[in-house]
Amino acid sequence: MKNAMPLQSACKEFEEDLVLYYYGETSEEERRRVGQHLSGCLRCQGFLGDLQRLLPQMARTEELPQSFWDNYYRETVAKLAQQDERKHWWRALIPSMKIWMVPAFGTVAMAVLVIGLLFGKGNLSSFTVRPTEKIPHEILADENQLQFFESMDLLESLGKLEAQDEQKPEAVNTQSSRVKLQSGIA
Amino acid sequence: MRKEKLITLMLGAFLLVSSQIASAAGDNWRNLTPTEKDRVLENYQRWQRLPQQDKEHLRDEWNRWQRLPKDERERIKQRYDQQQRRDRHRD
Repeated sequence: MKNAMPLQSACKEFEEDLVLYYYGETSEEERRRVGQHLSGCLRCQGFLGDLQRLLPQMARTEELPQSFWDNYYRETVAKLAQQDERKHWWRALIPSMKIWMVPAFGTVAMAVLVIGLLFGKGNLSSFTVRPTEKIPHEILADENQLQFFESMDLLESLGKLEAQDEQKPEAVNTQSSRVKLQSGIA
Repeated sequence: MRKEKLITLMLGAFLLVSSQIASAAGDNWRNLTPTEKDRVLENYQRWQRLPQQDKEHLRDEWNRWQRLPKDERERIKQRYDQQQRRDRHRD
């Protein structure tokens, strides 16, 4: 670094003004005041000279080769693609799915949820209250089957009950004929 | 486009029908009283342990029961309930 020399010191009250003077960012009056001071102050002339020598070097941008910009472009595009992929990660799960299948899949999922809720709501309480209750859904779903199991006791003694049913009217008839007979006698 | 609409319509119909079936199934069980539920459960468990011929006999009885006239069924049911009550009092 051949130009790495420290800046010469300027008068304290003119230091800032000299930087602005160099960049031309002072008012006309300020410029005149600084100019008058400069004409009589060697230290400030030296400081301004250093600014004129050093600042252009600091501001100079390094010329980058074309390959850098090519790589930069490639990397930026790759990063954007990566970001886009992360945003739609779920699309990777269904790469071959056609667009109409998405609402269809949603509908099926909803159907499963509804069925689950309906079955669950009806039986959850009884299944949790009575853990021994393990009746298959096909029975619970079939009213006929439910009635069958509900009246199984009755079915077991159906023959006996029918026999009693047949006997009883006869008994009633016999009794009534007996009454008729007695009243007839009377 | 028409195919998509048709598929959506079919799925909707499936959803509706399955929810109705599920609802009816849930209702059948929900409408039973706790005593009836207990009876169904108890009988179902007993049914599973029954020999095949008893199962067949009960199925035949069930079919016969369903073919009986309504008033006869009512009468038999009443008699059965009376007997049950009497048995409970005796116990």
